[in-house]
Amino acid sequence: MPDITFVKSALPRSGALVLLLAEGAPLAGLAKAAEEATGGAVSRGLEAAKFKGSKGQSCTLWAPGAGLAKLVAIGLGKADALDAQGAENAGGSALVAVQQEREAVLAADGLTPALAASCAVGARLRSYRFDRYRTTEKEEDKPKLERIAIASTEVTKAKAAFAPLQAIADGVFLTRDLVSEPPNVLTPTEMAERCKALEKLGVEVEIIGPREMKRLGFGALLGVAQGSAQEPRMVTMKWMGAPKGKKQKPLAFIGKGVTFDTGGISIKPAGGMEDMKWDMAGAGTVIGLMAALAGRKAKADVIGMVGLVENMPSATAQRPGDVVKSYSGQTVEVINTDAEGRLVLADVMWYCQEKYDPRFMVDLATLTGAIIIALGHERAGLFSNDDTLATHVKEAGSAVGEKAWRMPLGDAYDKQIKSDIADMKNVGGRPGGAITAAQFIQRFVNGKPWAHLDIAGTAWSSKDAPTVPKGATAYGVRMLDRMVADHYEG
Amino acid sequence: MVKLLLKRSAEALRRHKARGAESALILPVFDGDAPDDPALAAAAKAARFTGRAGEALCLPGADGLTILAGIGAGRTVQDWEAGGGAGMAEAAGRAQAVLLAEGATARQAAGFAAGALLNAWRFTALRDARKDKDAPPARVILGVTTPGKVEHAWKRAEATLRGVLLARDLVAEPGNRLNPASFAERLRALRDFGLKVEVVAGKRLAALGMGALRAVGGGAEHGPRLVVLRWPGKLMAAPVAFVGKGVCFDTGGISIKPAAGMEEMRGDMAGAAAAAGAMLALALRRSPAPAVAVLALAENAIGAASYRPGDILRTHSGKTIEVLDTDAEGRLILADALAYTAARFKPRAMIDLATLTGSIITALGHHRAGVFGNDEALTAALMAAGEAVAEPLWPMPIDDEHREVLKSDIADLRQCALAGSGAWGGRFLSDACHAAAFLREFVEDTSWAHLDIAGVEAREEAAPLGPKGPSGFGVRLLDRLVAMRFERDT
Repeated sequence: MPDITFVKSALPRSGALVLLLAEGAPLAGLAKAAEEATGGAVSRGLEAAKFKGSKGQSCTLWAPGAGLAKLVAIGLGKADALDAQGAENAGGSALVAVQQEREAVLAADGLTPALAASCAVGARLRSYRFDRYRTTEKEEDKPKLERIAIASTEVTKAKAAFAPLQAIADGVFLTRDLVSEPPNVLTPTEMAERCKALEKLGVEVEIIGPREMKRLGFGALLGVAQGSAQEPRMVTMKWMGAPKGKKQKPLAFIGKGVTFDTGGISIKPAGGMEDMKWDMAGAGTVIGLMAALAGRKAKADVIGMVGLVENMPSATAQRPGDVVKSYSGQTVEVINTDAEGRLVLADVMWYCQEKYDPRFMVDLATLTGAIIIALGHERAGLFSNDDTLATHVKEAGSAVGEKAWRMPLGDAYDKQIKSDIADMKNVGGRPGGAITAAQFIQRFVNGKPWAHLDIAGTAWSSKDAPTVPKGATAYGVRMLDRMVADHYEG
Repeated sequence: MVKLLLKRSAEALRRHKARGAESALILPVFDGDAPDDPALAAAAKAARFTGRAGEALCLPGADGLTILAGIGAGRTVQDWEAGGGAGMAEAAGRAQAVLLAEGATARQAAGFAAGALLNAWRFTALRDARKDKDAPPARVILGVTTPGKVEHAWKRAEATLRGVLLARDLVAEPGNRLNPASFAERLRALRDFGLKVEVVAGKRLAALGMGALRAVGGGAEHGPRLVVLRWPGKLMAAPVAFVGKGVCFDTGGISIKPAAGMEEMRGDMAGAAAAAGAMLALALRRSPAPAVAVLALAENAIGAASYRPGDILRTHSGKTIEVLDTDAEGRLILADALAYTAARFKPRAMIDLATLTGSIITALGHHRAGVFGNDEALTAALMAAGEAVAEPLWPMPIDDEHREVLKSDIADLRQCALAGSGAWGGRFLSDACHAAAFLREFVEDTSWAHLDIAGVEAREEAAPLGPKGPSGFGVRLLDRLVAMRFERDT
């Protein structure tokens, strides 16, 4: 992935130059310099391409003169309507446009230092590539970009604004790596090991395995894990960033980490089962979020917890009809072994609220197909017992382009998970399938303020977006980082 | 419908006693309160009856059969309706029920009776109900302090009630009795209540360019109809418009449905039935608001003249549609009806109701209908109306991705997403959102909302406000919406 640097605004003598142009604005700064150095080739080229500077528009001029190999113009839309998301998207589009060049200058000299930093992080986010398992890729297919220099009139300020964004991008990349890893590599044990990387950021990492879980009474989680040759793990990550004298109860984020989900005895159809490697995306997101918060030294005390298991059919696998006793003491009749994520969350969440007494708990899980049937892939389903918390989550998501949609809860739905022989069953039938899953989880939050994000539709994308290449999206890292920053720091 | 007799309490009690064991006396009880009669109070206590809204207790005793009906806090009309309904359920098998509502306000007393009569509805046209041991009482008396003061409130409640029962009767009718022709005839009879009724069929439908409605209904023996019901009201304003999906029977057409459960498709006209019921309610209570209902009636049959997957239809709006699935027919007939309504009536607001998708059942289950739209204020008003009459809605999104999947290679748009194009092997498509995005293409800039009532048009089990079966969902909601929002000038 290319280095990103900030440089003083000057016309490069070779390589690629990207201009960011607002709609209807005259050429200024580096754009004007390029225009003059090329003897007017820039404006003539833009005119020939019918380039108007509207949002998302782009245009490439090859060898326009002045030694440049390539000049790319990216439209920003109306200058006064440009926000951080617009600048990020422009940065992402710029990155794609120059990916086959070795070096490029991105002319952000017309932007404020904050927007220049947004533009840089957009380029950074889009540059992500998961290629560690490619051994025969042809040279011409690989991106060649080594360095992208963001030209700014206020380099120091832009750099300072970029530092925390870079930390967040690092968290996003960590999540994308985890979610992209194949399931034979990323087992629960391996995933737990990778959490240790957060120690160098100042995060305290605790890992427990099946023996300790058994001693604690994690019957729900262990029931899911018992069919696999891979041992389960629970990882607790603590970032204690609140300044002394400003300590409050910690914030808690909990993630579902099923490193591969066959469905177990209630096995899934073959078509698309490979996607189930990302059934740990909730946990992957919590890990990336902790890295982001620690990386930018967030002034808040935050607990991240993930329950890591593999769901396999085998001679020792849990059966439909089994009754398990969760850590909370509540019993669950397992009707469908493919509704396993909620069983994992049940134990981790009860443990979290009991041990840490958090201000709130937010859990993330690729929990149900029903949420995709409900909402599609643009928004995650948001369930909550607390309107303030739900609003904070939703607004933070909108601010960073990770959208959520509130879904209902209620007694009528809760009734669907009544069991004939246990305290509850783990599925409530097809009607309102994502809602009954949320009702199940709610039985393990013990009245704490809580929000649940069903990210089954948003964790993975089948098409490129300006700052998110197709594949693992890391949906939730930026949203929840932003929520902490906006409401729970200082 | 059972006729309600409004009497003074003393007279009501006298009639109760005169019928002996054939009469049931239904007494409202507040939450935490006890009946005045010491014997009843003792019995209530022994049976742990609390008076929660919708709770009922049947007490055979020295003074005949008494039923305690819980009305909760008793502040809202909804509480009284739930109590009346629950009480009435316990009176099944008796010839007469006497409801006592002394001390209640006129609206509460009327609600008590309305709840009871909603509960007492049965569809008896096609069987010998005399043999039914659990038949609801044929005679219902409401005893109040001053009948003259309750009469007005009752007339109003009765108007809505009759609208609901009309809708339920229509939904209950089987496909061999209620076809587009006979449905239209039943609607013609609404002239007696002051509604103007137009029925458009055959060549006139062709002349109007209703290509979608004609295609969907073209395979059936009884061709499609467009029925327009108009209520002039008193206000000098554009009408509020209801548009209903009236698929009298839905085989799925060439994309035929599986056999199991297909009989339920006789209720696929519940949207049209609800719209008709709401119009009847408005007419009976002489609403000042001008209103119009446009009902698209068709039978989606398999025949030599059936439309096919791959067909391109030209709609009333001029837009062309590529058919992928002949079982996604509701949105097609609504496309014609919505465009026609918007163009002809220029309504203040246009609300369509349709048993449209299975996807909305997966999303929201059987406890809420989905509401989509282009006008937040209208959506909010619908939500509020729904909460007030126990027909709850939940807002659902129309995102860019939902429109994106409707792009067609050879027509203006596709009717639905390609089968198999969803996540996880094609199993998960957000079809309810896709359908809403499709409908939006036909409303132009009219203030519009779409209620997907699949899942709530029939009750899975008996409830205070009705037996198992057709619920009449939508009638009370629309009636309340009009009362709340459209009975004043602009």
